[in-house]
Amino acid sequence: MPQEKNKRVLIVDDERDLTEALALRLTAGWGYSVAVAYDGEEGLRKAAVFKPGMILLDLAMPKVDGWEMCRRLLDNPDTREIPVLIMTAWSTGDLHARAAEEGVIKVLLKPVDEQELLSILRANVGTSRKMIV
Amino acid sequence: MDQKISVLLIEDDPDYALLMNLYVNEACGDALKYVLESASSLAEGLDLLARKEFDIVLLDLMLPDSHDLNTLAQLRRRAPSIPVVVLTNLDPEATGLKAIGEGAQDFLIKSKVDAQQLRRAIGYALERSRLFGQMEAMVRGSPDGVVIIDHSGMVRYANPAALAVFNRKADQIVGRLFDFPLAAEGATEAKLPGPNGERIAEMREAPIEWKGYKARLVTIRDITELKRLEQVRAEVKERRRMDQLKDKLLSTVSHELRSPLSIIKAAVGTIRDRLAGPLTKEQQEMIDTADRNISRLTRILGNFLDLSRLESGSASVDRRLFEPSELLREITDDLRMTYKGKDVSLLADLAPGLPQVNADKDMIVQVVANLLDNALRYARDRVQVRTRLLGEEVVVSVIDDGTGIPDGKSEDLFNKFVQLDRPKGGAGYKGTGLGLAISREIMTLNGGRIWAENVKGWGAGFHFALPAADPAAAGGRHAAGKK
Repeated sequence: MPQEKNKRVLIVDDERDLTEALALRLTAGWGYSVAVAYDGEEGLRKAAVFKPGMILLDLAMPKVDGWEMCRRLLDNPDTREIPVLIMTAWSTGDLHARAAEEGVIKVLLKPVDEQELLSILRANVGTSRKMIV
Repeated sequence: MDQKISVLLIEDDPDYALLMNLYVNEACGDALKYVLESASSLAEGLDLLARKEFDIVLLDLMLPDSHDLNTLAQLRRRAPSIPVVVLTNLDPEATGLKAIGEGAQDFLIKSKVDAQQLRRAIGYALERSRLFGQMEAMVRGSPDGVVIIDHSGMVRYANPAALAVFNRKADQIVGRLFDFPLAAEGATEAKLPGPNGERIAEMREAPIEWKGYKARLVTIRDITELKRLEQVRAEVKERRRMDQLKDKLLSTVSHELRSPLSIIKAAVGTIRDRLAGPLTKEQQEMIDTADRNISRLTRILGNFLDLSRLESGSASVDRRLFEPSELLREITDDLRMTYKGKDVSLLADLAPGLPQVNADKDMIVQVVANLLDNALRYARDRVQVRTRLLGEEVVVSVIDDGTGIPDGKSEDLFNKFVQLDRPKGGAGYKGTGLGLAISREIMTLNGGRIWAENVKGWGAGFHFALPAADPAAAGGRHAAGKK
């Protein structure tokens, strides 16, 4: 595994209050280094530069939304392998099917269960894309 | 056709009567046979008509007891359906035509009649009468009301359906002015008082000719039932719209609540885990309480979503074959750990080798989890999970040793937001009030049923039944689905 030491996580969510608390948990609580983006465009830019071991992605966002960002991550050879986890408050009927189509490794419904998030991070950060659900 | 035609001749001149008798019995080469009876006055004629059946009446208008068209009118009043051929000498054409206008089938000029003419007139009269009878039968029998109004606005005819709609007798309509407003074109709706409440009638009119005069034909249709149906349909549609709106609202609200709730949860979690600094013991307790209730609120929102998805029919059901005891074994083994901290022991009494059922396994797990969650809240010391084969159904029961369900309340439990005030044996953990409603929806989607019934020696029992996938295997044969 070439990226074994990559403990970088990118959080992309326009809810600043949420990203702040989540970032604190990931850094101070679980020892990850975290970058934060507040829309898909910024997310794509930071993904290319920061090269995270995993992206925690919200769906409803200004400019470039979560689905669009998923597609553009796949289009770029530099970001194609980064595992993407979706965190959303909206569980529409076709959510999981769509997520599978876009190569998302897991969908978590907000509010996210911390223990579940931690175990997914432990298993997947720094690996290449592999779908869990 | 050797059928005999019976003719009643009402004629006061015996010589003329004799002549007519001669004419009708003269061989004319046709197959019709006539039987003629004579009456010498209108009174005698009416008397005969009342006692015997006649096919046709030959009527002299000038009789000792009646004159002119009055004779015809009197006869028609007493015997409205019998065809009449009028015999006349007075101002022949004018009187004859008037007679036809008043309902006679034909007229003959007395001085000019011969056998052939007479027989032809009788034949035509009978045929016309038969045709008229058919037409009249059609109008009479029509389920729609038919009314004929003459040029002066007077009702000249009303069929039984019309009488029924207007709730009047014939003489309350016929011969009187038609007193319902009619639109010049199209349909008019009228509200009519009836013996069983108000009726709604739709009336349409068309110009016709009636006995040589301009008149109006009005058809009346009772649309009370149709209107009622329309109203019911509109109500159903509106109710469905409100339901959809409610589902949409429920879904939107629960989604909209999720975002702020997730922020609160993250913030509270940060404090609880002391990522934002150290806490006193009291602060820790408070923040744990907040955290527990965030979890509770999250569960409620999850249930909201589940229920609205199940009720709207948008939930996909992935039915597969599985053996219920095996599944229950897995669930109880997993949960025994949770129960350990609660002073309530979880017992399993699972029948081996049950037939397979065909259901969505995840959904069934959710039902069992709901039932166990309930049982844990109400149990004193023990909760038991049972599986049984009953007939061609596999019945799964979750039983607690609490106080049980009060009489008559077991169905209420499956309604949304119903939580009975059963004294709690266990911890003060609160439910969402939706678990059983969700469970019932799930069972319906999976072809099963769920009910509550207290169990002897225990407290409340919640049971659900799923049909055995292969009824032939319901005799106790070991399930083949072990993998």
